[in-house]
Amino acid sequence: MRTLDLDARPLQPSAAVRGQQRRSTLAAQVGGLWMRLWAGKPPGLFLALLGAAIGLSMAWPILYVVWRALWAGRARWLRLLDGRIPGLLWQTASITVTTTLLSVGIGVSLAWLVHRCDTPGRRVWRWLLAVPLMVPSYVGAVAYVMFLGPRGWLSTLLGRAPFNLYSFWGVLLVLTLFKFPYVFLIVGAALKRMNRSYEEAARSLGLGPWAIFWRVTVPFLQPAIGAGAILTALCTLSEFGVVALLRYNTFTSAIYYQMESYDRTAATVLSSVLMALTLAVLGIERLTRGRRRFHQTTNVTRRPDILRLGRWKHVALLWVLVVLALAVLLPLAVLTYWSVIGVAHGALDGRFWTFALNSIQVAGLAAVAAVVLALPVVYLRARHPSLPSVLIDKLSGSGYALPGVVVALGLIFLFNTYIPWLYNTAFLVVVAYLVRFLPQAMQYGGASLSQVSPRIDETARSLGYAPWRVLFSVIVPLILPGLLAGGALVFVSAIKELPATLILRPPGFDTLAVRVWVESSEAVYHMAAPAAVLIVLVSLLPLKWMLSRY
Amino acid sequence: MVKLTSVFGLGLAPIVVVVLGVLLSGCAGGAAGETGGSGELVVYSARNERFVDALLEDFEADTGITVRALHAGGAAVNRIVEESRNVQADIFISNDVGALEYLRLGGYLQGYTPEGIETIDARYRAPDNAWFALSARTRVLMYNRDLITAEAMPKTIWALTDAQWAGQFAITRGGNGSMIAHVSALRHEWGNAKTAEWIAAVKANAGAIMQGHGDIRRAVGAGEVAFGLVNNYYYHQQLLEPTDNNVGVIYPDQGEGEMGAVVNAAGVAFVRDAPNADNARRFLDWILLPENQRAFSYASMEVPINPAIEAVGEAATLSDYRVHALPLSRLGEVYEDTRAFIERAGLDLELK
Repeated sequence: MRTLDLDARPLQPSAAVRGQQRRSTLAAQVGGLWMRLWAGKPPGLFLALLGAAIGLSMAWPILYVVWRALWAGRARWLRLLDGRIPGLLWQTASITVTTTLLSVGIGVSLAWLVHRCDTPGRRVWRWLLAVPLMVPSYVGAVAYVMFLGPRGWLSTLLGRAPFNLYSFWGVLLVLTLFKFPYVFLIVGAALKRMNRSYEEAARSLGLGPWAIFWRVTVPFLQPAIGAGAILTALCTLSEFGVVALLRYNTFTSAIYYQMESYDRTAATVLSSVLMALTLAVLGIERLTRGRRRFHQTTNVTRRPDILRLGRWKHVALLWVLVVLALAVLLPLAVLTYWSVIGVAHGALDGRFWTFALNSIQVAGLAAVAAVVLALPVVYLRARHPSLPSVLIDKLSGSGYALPGVVVALGLIFLFNTYIPWLYNTAFLVVVAYLVRFLPQAMQYGGASLSQVSPRIDETARSLGYAPWRVLFSVIVPLILPGLLAGGALVFVSAIKELPATLILRPPGFDTLAVRVWVESSEAVYHMAAPAAVLIVLVSLLPLKWMLSRY
Repeated sequence: MVKLTSVFGLGLAPIVVVVLGVLLSGCAGGAAGETGGSGELVVYSARNERFVDALLEDFEADTGITVRALHAGGAAVNRIVEESRNVQADIFISNDVGALEYLRLGGYLQGYTPEGIETIDARYRAPDNAWFALSARTRVLMYNRDLITAEAMPKTIWALTDAQWAGQFAITRGGNGSMIAHVSALRHEWGNAKTAEWIAAVKANAGAIMQGHGDIRRAVGAGEVAFGLVNNYYYHQQLLEPTDNNVGVIYPDQGEGEMGAVVNAAGVAFVRDAPNADNARRFLDWILLPENQRAFSYASMEVPINPAIEAVGEAATLSDYRVHALPLSRLGEVYEDTRAFIERAGLDLELK
């Protein structure tokens, strides 16, 4: 840009120079526009292009699905709108709403009991109740099939299945048991932050504990409850394993069967509707978040009182134990039981370790790539805040709320059509993980970077470091812990991922998650269980660190 | 700080490169690329992987060729169609002749004359041998002896529409490959109107509509329903179960002038533009060796097509009972159409 300014200074206005001058003015205008576009702080061209490339690559598969759906043809749209979509909408909406409501009920009550009441053992329950969130829901579903299914433990014991797990109620049970910790954790965190003065004021005005709970605590918790509910709803919308294993059809399972067995274009139509649903839920979040605000009086923050439950103590404890038994103890017991049988039957053979190695390879590659790719995106966002960097940030994060089946559908289309030499390789699985989980790496990288003062960059620049060198030898070392934490989270999420892996795995490349799916669909429980247990063990790794966050 | 800087500035980039390299090479090893692969064979299979894996391992041991298998179930056919411009599979193993012929009619297969093809009756292979069947399965009614006697059982497929059986039997969802082929055969025999009537009545009558035949055999064995419409080898499998094995079988429509039981077959196909065509030819030659034909049928307890190979255990051979007249390859013409037909008649392809 500096050179352009020099050129623009007219010395001898000959024709050639005048032409150059016009060009230069144009260049200067473009330069000015560029400057304004980046709100006065433009990044290097390379960084800008890199960020744009990452953002577009991450959003490409999803946008392509919408694009294909637009060209799916009137007849196909009408056929689906008439036949398939109304039923799917009802089934998806009903399970999403009920799961969310039930999760809120369980999550809020438990959070209240272990944070604000003298429930015995509450310190232990606080972290034990977060465990179900770490267990992938489809593993939970597998455990419940082994327990409550037509040929499960209880059914064998009673002679018949006590209730039909393959139904709306079965899906609701499993989803709620493994999603409620979202609400539990977020509401728990809000309760911990809550200032006692509000409740004291209420008490001094003569309200009883029950009235205080409903008229002070619940309104105060509303933003947290809302956030937990939105998260639960989004996860239910994109849930594939549970609904498919329990043979209940929502959009995700319908898309899976549609694309695999019949017509991929029709699957894009269903995917577009599902994306619209997801956006609607996100829209609700926006609306509700803006409405209510609560302010803490920061000068006097005292920890709230612990409510004495008296004789209700035992009821509270029972409630905690029932939920723990259903969501943690029972699945782990069933899985351990079948694992022991499986190991005795030689389930841990060479094949098993090949599957484990495959899982580790694709997840590890995705984690490393996520860390590397998150860096430019978060750096742009933090150091060059402007429309383009926000856009890049949003594009890179677009896979976050979207179901794995939709991402897989987009990728299988794109690679089969445009990048055939990479189609049907493990590379696609890695790309799918990136699209889905890069936002996690971005979140942690971004959080670390926000704690590094821009002054440090400026100082390094003033000492003569080139921008890229500032990034790699100053910034990266400082935010490395955050980047690595993000990478670790991506690794764990990728190990657990089911739908995209199932669709995109190349021939001869099964992962642990795929084996859990295949073996449990065939009702070979002793082969499904060891893989499931290994996934659960890996999934539990970030528990401690996850809890310290909330 | 200086130390850190130099460590990361100089050290990090190579570390990342090395890690990426190791992981990538690992991936490539596990899922080898499209490098023309002289030493590998890509198999798409729609059969249960338990019926196929041992056979493929034998092939690897005999030839030194690495087999990469995708057990895609019902998705295999659609995959092959979608990948026709970027062919991945060399061999397709299917349990439905309708699917095999459907692919051949669509131009997704290629002909080849493997050694030993003459052991397979011409009725059970494509004119250009692009596919050939190796084992046969028959649509039968399997029943629980504790709940119903052979005399009381319905003796024809049409009898399933009778209200007296309401709630007592199980069928699969409409999208099951064997179900589709069965309906195709019925359309050929009865015409569309009567077949649609049969579908609607059977759907209304069925006590349970299940995902697959494995579910049905376990449900019949456990006495959840009195009988079920399955392929005959599920009956033989259930007999081998340690419990819930008091089951019997009815081959339907065996009376004089009746249509006979509907037969389908499992077999292998040679995919057009297969990336490892030479290895695919070796596989087709290899699978026709008598011991491998035998292994192909026995894994699932089906009946070998080749009469020279004796049937497993007490399985009835094809010549023991009356068989429906439709040439199997005719199933391919209506493969796509029958699915839509089933859905129109009111039976969902997937469980809802």
